[in-house]
Amino acid sequence: MLEHLRTPVSPERVVVVGAGGFVGGSIMRRLAADGVPSLAVTRRELDLLDAGAGRSLAALLRPSDSVVLVSAVAPARTAAHVTQNLRMAEAWADAFAAAPVAHVVYISSDAVYADGDGLVSETSCAQPSSLHGVMHLAREVMLSAALKAPLAVLRPSLLYGPGDPHNSYGPNRFRRLAAGGEPIVLFGEGEEQRDHVWIEDVGSIVGLTLAHRSRGVLNVATGSSVSFRRAAELVARLASRPAVIRGTPRQSPIVHRHFDVTACVKAFPAFHYVPLEEGLRRTVRAETADGAPAR
Amino acid sequence: MRPPAVGFAGLTHLGLVSAAAAASTGAPVVGWDPDAGRVDAIAGGRLPVAEPGLEALLDAHGARLAWSRDAAALARCDIIYIAADVPTDGTGASDLREIAGLIAAVIAAAPAVRALVVLSQVPPGFTRAVPFASDRLFCQVETLVFGRAVERATRPERFIVGMAEPRSALPEPYALFLREFGCPIVQVRYESAELAKIAINCYLAASVTVTNMLAELSERIGADWQEIVPALRLDRRIGPDAYVVPGLGLSGGNIERDLATVLGLAGAAGAEAAPIRAMLRSSERRSDWALRMLHAGVLAARPDAVIGILGLAYKQNTRSTKNSPALALLRHLTPWRVRVYDPVVPAAEVEHPRAVAAPSALAAAAGADAVAIMTPWPEFRDLSAPALAAVMAGRTVLDPYGVLDPGAAAAAGLEYSTLGAPPAPAAERRP
Repeated sequence: MLEHLRTPVSPERVVVVGAGGFVGGSIMRRLAADGVPSLAVTRRELDLLDAGAGRSLAALLRPSDSVVLVSAVAPARTAAHVTQNLRMAEAWADAFAAAPVAHVVYISSDAVYADGDGLVSETSCAQPSSLHGVMHLAREVMLSAALKAPLAVLRPSLLYGPGDPHNSYGPNRFRRLAAGGEPIVLFGEGEEQRDHVWIEDVGSIVGLTLAHRSRGVLNVATGSSVSFRRAAELVARLASRPAVIRGTPRQSPIVHRHFDVTACVKAFPAFHYVPLEEGLRRTVRAETADGAPAR
Repeated sequence: MRPPAVGFAGLTHLGLVSAAAAASTGAPVVGWDPDAGRVDAIAGGRLPVAEPGLEALLDAHGARLAWSRDAAALARCDIIYIAADVPTDGTGASDLREIAGLIAAVIAAAPAVRALVVLSQVPPGFTRAVPFASDRLFCQVETLVFGRAVERATRPERFIVGMAEPRSALPEPYALFLREFGCPIVQVRYESAELAKIAINCYLAASVTVTNMLAELSERIGADWQEIVPALRLDRRIGPDAYVVPGLGLSGGNIERDLATVLGLAGAAGAEAAPIRAMLRSSERRSDWALRMLHAGVLAARPDAVIGILGLAYKQNTRSTKNSPALALLRHLTPWRVRVYDPVVPAAEVEHPRAVAAPSALAAAAGADAVAIMTPWPEFRDLSAPALAAVMAGRTVLDPYGVLDPGAAAAAGLEYSTLGAPPAPAAERRP
């Protein structure tokens, strides 16, 4: 649940740490569209795993800055990945101790929630079953303990859109398979329902969170979950060539995930998410315009 | 034998209704409240609560009712009830300071009273700690229901009396007074009586929770909860008066207070209270039903939408807005223009920068893109769906409590949603 200023105020400057990635890119585009001064920090400027990274980051910060933290080795699948991610968080904490800022937004993940625990809201039990979720939850707690400034934690569900470097099971992989003329292979019959978020909506939510100086936790989810089969069918319908959808023998029990997005409705009443079908259409349009085929 | 004189300290909802019910037995009654303005208002016929039948009851038995600004007036009473409503905060936590003050004042004014009875909603352990002779100190469970308080007070199902020695006899005036109501009297120890009140509300909350959960499921899977309700009422294990009508979560404050008390007691005692937490979560989710429906149906597409809100009270036949779903909804509609109407609650209670008070239900609906009927006031049942459709600019009608006929609404071209059933599309659309 977010608490924040009722009347939005444009931040003086926003520092986006991890601006070069899929999510960081959407945030930078949103800030640019809103005319918000920003500083993009990517691994080229600052490797958070370097010794003294905290000091280097502190040197970039001003007291009036709002900071968005996106950097991560993701998904964190191994203990080494977790350790690396925690070292990054340690660098952030060191930086904020040396150079306090006005507001921090941390991009976490819905992986912090327990699996199969019913409708997920911001008050649901954060009991991760994956290393990725453990990593994000640990970073949330580290930041909360280190910061004096207001902290907003955003927990996105599954993201999709043009330029996604990941190839996880879902719309992005389905698009690549369809574009390559390969069958879209589902786990089981693709019955599991998930909440898919259009990447540019993440940028919009971050923009609102910054403008309202929000503090607290907010899930980034549309509130409308669809099955992977339905997502595959939407992808196939938009594909430039006929796509085959194929089920496989089920290996694991079906676990759905649905979100109660009332907190978002209350926090940002005028904001509404892009539905999956429309987001996929925009993804296709964006990649066609860029001349960049789906990978 | 002369009827015992009965005193009531604290003249808010509970005390006022209870005093009127006591007078209806033929007993002389004294009502005292430290708020002189409240006493004067009641004496002048301006009641601080809206409760069906209360004015008539007070009129019928007014000759036996005396209202006083002075606690000394209670000295002539055989029985004195501590009857103020216990205020609660946003978390349901009770503020017992006012009750403690009333008790101290009453003990000072009437130290020889035969029965001092705590009727207010107090947590287990409270009564035993009252500094008064234990053989003359009692607590009595109240089961006031907003909107049905007179009926509940004049025709109680039973009395549950907490006392130091449950096997001993009640003081004669107290026993005589209670017997006038012709219902069973259950004598238990103080803590059992105090917990009994909480237990009743926990059972009610459980019913409300299950009902609301299954109503939401009905909305999503194509079932109609209203078709299921009669079958549930015919089941003896559930019963004809069970809370099986869906609503917008828990409201009114009393049940929430008791759930908060259980959480506090269980936390301190090391007992499991997960079901209570689930009830509160369920209630919170359900209370936002109209907000989610408005966003899905209208607000996502219409940044300039006008919303008509019919009803502000937390339920019909009361002026209370404590935890009112309508006021909660309005707090989250600030970007949009709203038109509000309630038969009893003034629009001034609405915290909304763009709210307009309408003089009638139809006037509130006039020009609205969506209408939400947030309190099932009887007069809203007289609304005609065609008349509503004629004055509205849009088609969306949210009727959580089902005051309109769904078929008539659909026939009038309205897109109608109610609790426990899938949204009904309009049968026809205006050009």
